[in-house]
Amino acid sequence: MGNTIRFTLDGKTIESSDGETIWQAADRVNIPIPHLCYLPQPDYRTDGNCRACVVEIEGEGALAASCLRKPAEGMVVRSDSERARKSQSLVMELLMADQPSREKAHERESRLWEWAETLDTTSSRFPARDSIDRDLSHPAMHVALDACIQCNLCVRACREVQVNDVIGMAHRGHHAKIVFDFDDPMGASTCVACGECVF
Amino acid sequence: MQANTIEVMAGRFRNSDGRKARPYTKGRQVDRLTKAEIKALIGESPRRDLLIEYLHLIQDRHGHLSSKNLAALADEMCLAQSEVYEVATFYAHFDVVHEGENPPPPMTIRVCDSISCELANAEKLVHDLEQASLKDVRILRAPCMGRCATAPVAEVGHNHVDHATLKKITEAVAGKHIHPAIPDYIGFDDYCGSGGYRLWKNCLKGRYSPERILDDLDTSRLKGLGGAGFPTGRKWRIVGGYEAPRLMAVNIDEGEPGTFKDRYYLESDPHRFIEGMLIAAWVVGIEKSYVYIRDEYPAIIALLKEEIAKVQSAGLADHLEIEIRRGAGAYICGEESAMIESIEGKRGLPRNRPPYVAEVGLFGRPTLENNVETLHWVRDIIEKGPKWFSESGANGCSGLRSYSVSGRVKEPGVKLASAGITIRELIEGHCGGMLDGHKFKSYLPGGASGGILPASIDNVPLDFGTLHEYGCFIGSAAIVVFSDQDNMKDVALNLMRFFRDESCGQCTPCRSGTEKAARLMAKPEWDMELLEDLSTVMTDASICGLGQAAGNPINCVFKYFPEDL
Ligand SMILES: Cc1cc2nc3c(=O)[nH]c(=O)nc-3n(C[C@H](O)[C@H](O)[C@H](O)COP(=O)(O)O)c2cc1C
Ligand code: SF4
Ligand code: SF4
Ligand code: FES
Ligand code: FES
Repeated sequence: MGNTIRFTLDGKTIESSDGETIWQAADRVNIPIPHLCYLPQPDYRTDGNCRACVVEIEGEGALAASCLRKPAEGMVVRSDSERARKSQSLVMELLMADQPSREKAHERESRLWEWAETLDTTSSRFPARDSIDRDLSHPAMHVALDACIQCNLCVRACREVQVNDVIGMAHRGHHAKIVFDFDDPMGASTCVACGECVF
Repeated sequence: MQANTIEVMAGRFRNSDGRKARPYTKGRQVDRLTKAEIKALIGESPRRDLLIEYLHLIQDRHGHLSSKNLAALADEMCLAQSEVYEVATFYAHFDVVHEGENPPPPMTIRVCDSISCELANAEKLVHDLEQASLKDVRILRAPCMGRCATAPVAEVGHNHVDHATLKKITEAVAGKHIHPAIPDYIGFDDYCGSGGYRLWKNCLKGRYSPERILDDLDTSRLKGLGGAGFPTGRKWRIVGGYEAPRLMAVNIDEGEPGTFKDRYYLESDPHRFIEGMLIAAWVVGIEKSYVYIRDEYPAIIALLKEEIAKVQSAGLADHLEIEIRRGAGAYICGEESAMIESIEGKRGLPRNRPPYVAEVGLFGRPTLENNVETLHWVRDIIEKGPKWFSESGANGCSGLRSYSVSGRVKEPGVKLASAGITIRELIEGHCGGMLDGHKFKSYLPGGASGGILPASIDNVPLDFGTLHEYGCFIGSAAIVVFSDQDNMKDVALNLMRFFRDESCGQCTPCRSGTEKAARLMAKPEWDMELLEDLSTVMTDASICGLGQAAGNPINCVFKYFPEDL
């Protein structure tokens, strides 16, 4: 382990060793920071795409993803400032706009719904995107991309953790879409049904 | 699983002995013939980073990418099918065609629908083209083609039609004029004849030291002209300070709507940039330079290939390997880290920082990324002396700027003028004033990203940093001028649609925020609370400059043009 530094998070002074991210340090001292695309498991690379975990760092213009950023000596970080909380909950609200409602959710206890509740964001004021069909082609798993938040975890699971290389993120922008092979029905794809992508 | 998108029926995916089951022969099989064809096309020992180049080869040969060919390519490259597919579908210039689907018609017409072309009635042109029902042709909308001074613009195949009309386009289609026109530029011999490459040869002879060049760059106060304005001398020193091998990426992606200065310099005097690149690589100690050119500039791709080959055969580039790369229709690849991903053969997703590309860039190596115009000025700065450049500014600013001016002015075009002149000086002194019958109302100081300023703010110097207090920035100095005939609400919607279409889709605030903003902004009434919230989350929480700037048009309309709402 490298040298130890001290930084403040939400007013608390925290000691941290080299290599740890702000999120990990926060977790260690029981300061919860929302996170969706980050899975605190060793095999999973941190990607920093959902932006649910953004924090305000004194002296920096934009907010930073706490799942990626490492604290530095003397850094003053707030995960609970008005500005940080606003973006955290707006991220939830944006994702929620494109989800089936919680009553109809495939999985009511998913992290999205739990964090949204923690942040008091239980419904969305934003208009929904055009709807997406479900893929029921596989006998063992169903793909319900209408609930997808493009967090890319299943791609990492399939490509980097299991090295099965079946799942990809195709297209771009708001058309970005999880695909099996060439956007084939899952049941016809090279999927080996390892189940890693279901976490 | 976030939202339980992939649901498992319990216990059904393992054999009784607990090993992974593979109960079906699944996935797309590759036939030998197709594989041989692909191999012949892309050659022996394919390189992972050349995936996009290979996709171009297939698309150019067949007019589309069939799943059969993609599967063979994946197989040949030992890549997952999904990896090939996700790259192919990221870029707008590739047409993936699945089994059973019809390939696109043999000819494609792209009509620019970005802001300057919209002002010049691109909408009507699209409509007229659709009505004309041309045979075996498809009509697509496309973002800014870097020819905004001659709006509206269309592209027939790879042939750009300036001041496009239905008649001009149908003639190009009928005559099968689909190849780019190669401009009349200063070639290698002429460039050498007028003192070109003398500076570079003197560097090689030791008459200049790298330190001397760096000092001159510092004194000149040259700042990156790609938009971020980072001091060039300082950037070169930083990259040079990291351990070798170091690499370079030259940014010729010029996609910011309203910008066409890079095209102008490359189509008139390409060697000035090549000389600048050679000097940069020598000063910083670079092994290999990747020259990334947007696919919308086919003439430049062709001419640079030719001219760089001449420089190489003249023995002037012995210390530097140079590779030309062709983009494939994605504005985001102009963002430096997205460009690096694209050069590596991947989807153009900007990277989270730190680390910065200067330290961890291409293939994990320290990388110098410069805009092509930044390199263009290196020779003049050294030859004419750094003060020539630094003292060229106006109103307290320093340096020269190449303003790309379009919109409602009499003489649009690239205007080389002092950094720090005002919009009034630019319009009256360099563009022949406003078009007849048009009264100056507002302007974009920095393309789609830099916000919208009203004519009342007409005395601020146009330079890096000076527009910050107005919620705007100059970026690539793409100035689009509007008149009393233009509605700023419509302008802002056009800009937001551009961001929505060009967002890489990686981060929630930008992927979803631009989509929702474009929906809300298309309504007759703007919901101020929702749009301001979207602007906040995009600005504060996006990964890169695209999302961080996407709220600017919203903020500026609320602030400066409430009467247009
Ligand atoms: C969304 C986005 C698009 C960009 N597009 C371009 C571009 O088309 N050309 C360019 O030179 N720089 C572009 N940039 C800036 C580059 O990231 C980078 O700053 C620049 O190429 C560095 O070179 P310079 O220091 O010589 O300006 C863009 C930045 C962002 C955030
Ligand atoms: S399908 Fe993949 S990308 Fe979508 S929410 Fe699930 S894990 Fe994330
Ligand atoms: S801000 Fe937009 S373009 Fe940039 S990384 Fe996020 S989604 Fe991609
Ligand atoms: S958890 Fe940090 S960006 Fe998603
Ligand atoms: S070429 Fe159409 S806006 Fe630039």
